[in-house]
Amino acid sequence: MILFALLLIPFSFLMLSLLIKKAGIKQRLALLFATFNFLWALALVPAVKFREIIVVQMGSWSAPYGISLVADRFSVLMLVVAAFVFFLTTIYSTQSVDKARRKNGHFFFSFGILMGVNGSFMAGDLFNLYVWFEVMLMSSFILVSLGGERQQLEGSVKYLILNLISSLFFVAGIGLLYGKLGSLNLADLSLKMASASDNLALLNPALILIFVGFSIKGALFPFFFWLPASYHTPPPAVTALFAGLLTKVGIYSLIRFYTLFLYYDHGFWNPVVLWAGGLSMVIGVIAASSQYDFRKILSFHIISQVGYVVVALGFFTVAGLTAALFFLVHNMLAKTNAFLVAGWVHRERGTLNLKVLGDLFNKSPIWGILFFISAFSLAGLPPLSGFFGKYLVLKAGIEADQVFITLVALFVGFFTLFSMVKIWMEVFWKKAPENIAQLAPVELKPANWMLFSSVVMALAIVAMGLWAAPIVEYCQLAAEDLLTPSKYIDYVLGYH
Amino acid sequence: MEYIIAIFIGLLYACGVYLILRRSIVKVILGVFVLSNATSLIIFLSGGIQRGGAPFIPEGAETVDPATISDPLPQALILTAIVISLGISAYILALKYRYFDVTGTHDLDQLKNTDQR
Repeated sequence: MILFALLLIPFSFLMLSLLIKKAGIKQRLALLFATFNFLWALALVPAVKFREIIVVQMGSWSAPYGISLVADRFSVLMLVVAAFVFFLTTIYSTQSVDKARRKNGHFFFSFGILMGVNGSFMAGDLFNLYVWFEVMLMSSFILVSLGGERQQLEGSVKYLILNLISSLFFVAGIGLLYGKLGSLNLADLSLKMASASDNLALLNPALILIFVGFSIKGALFPFFFWLPASYHTPPPAVTALFAGLLTKVGIYSLIRFYTLFLYYDHGFWNPVVLWAGGLSMVIGVIAASSQYDFRKILSFHIISQVGYVVVALGFFTVAGLTAALFFLVHNMLAKTNAFLVAGWVHRERGTLNLKVLGDLFNKSPIWGILFFISAFSLAGLPPLSGFFGKYLVLKAGIEADQVFITLVALFVGFFTLFSMVKIWMEVFWKKAPENIAQLAPVELKPANWMLFSSVVMALAIVAMGLWAAPIVEYCQLAAEDLLTPSKYIDYVLGYH
Repeated sequence: MEYIIAIFIGLLYACGVYLILRRSIVKVILGVFVLSNATSLIIFLSGGIQRGGAPFIPEGAETVDPATISDPLPQALILTAIVISLGISAYILALKYRYFDVTGTHDLDQLKNTDQR
């Protein structure tokens, strides 16, 4: 029940919002349910401390046959951060998203995303993971195209086709894996794979299909093209939500998969993961440096930072996985906040082209500082969360004797700094360009709620840097759990 | 029988990939449909094929030899996959309609506005 509620909360909002016509009430209801979801996810933290892995068998059918919902420390961490990001973007979108969109189902479909995300973080079997992916994707397809502007439609065609192909890869992989092992439950599959250890190579085609599916969802090299082609088209609040949640679900599944299945054939998969991560890191950051659109730069940086997480996963030590989890959390917060600031810039100036923007620091120093915090956290400036994220990744890399890729990660950090400084200089610091006709200043209502959510997010980033120790400790426990899959198996199959 | 279906799936995938690589958006959408059907067939084949072996336990018997009946699970999975792809098809066609309304073109090469330069 305790886990089921995380699906029930978004679902009941979906049902209730169909009954309500007034946009204002719908909005309040959305805020209420988002808060509720966050509090419930937070309540799982002490629960998981007490019971280590919470397993709920839906309808009381026992594990390999029924549907299991599983939450270990890693899932709970992701659930809490996702709920936090969702809560703040909901507050933010009450002011940032225009009225027509809010009335026509912006909140409805963002709760659809929340439901899919919560479901995939807890899914205990492969097919349910696929179904939750689809719930999330369907809602995200509609959110990308909601409003129907030309640019949005173009972006959503690309987003839609490539993500559908990724789902097809994933389902085909599930089919092949089921054909070979005869199970869908993650724990049961892992157990069966352990006993089939002499012909693991036969399973690799299925696993490769699933890996490709996850890499498209997580925007890893060479499957990232949909992301920068579509993320800058919807309203900024939607992009912030996507940046915080969607690719991270792909990465979550990859980490879960690696620790349960792929590590049996470590010799084959480890180089694949390291190369995919390393190249994403490099290509993302280099492609970002040639862009002149606020959101496009940030979109390419998503790819690069996803690469860090995957490389840290590829080290496959406790330190490496700790770094991966910490970096993932840091990235969800810092990236979302950077997009929240982009939303404010878009509201003030009506454009996100760096060449036209300028002088926004004088307009509003607070938003300038908010951008400074999130951007330099992404670049890894010491007191902020990104510093510890990068430090942990580099340290884990050196300890795992992967010196080359560690040096690459260090080198990528400089480029990140370059892009962030570029945005900072062009948008906030330089004088507004004179020869370009200024847009007529529209009198806007003060963006108090937008400011509020961005400030809370920035405080979270700072707090994550200042009190990194308890979070790293938690990540380390989660990483130890991930590295002993027998524990997961025992809990899910009820041997414990 | 398995071989025939396997070859057929391969052909469907080939058609799907060919269609997806076309310039016209309608053909790309058709390609996605073909690919999703091919994928459903893969799941179907993964359970093994058993002619006339309905997955029922006859009245009075406690168990049944699993080799004589077909596996019901892949069929349940396909059902879910088909329903999902139905929803997606409806959406993608609506999107195509709206896209044609706004841009007046079927040509995917016209989608260059949002590309990264």
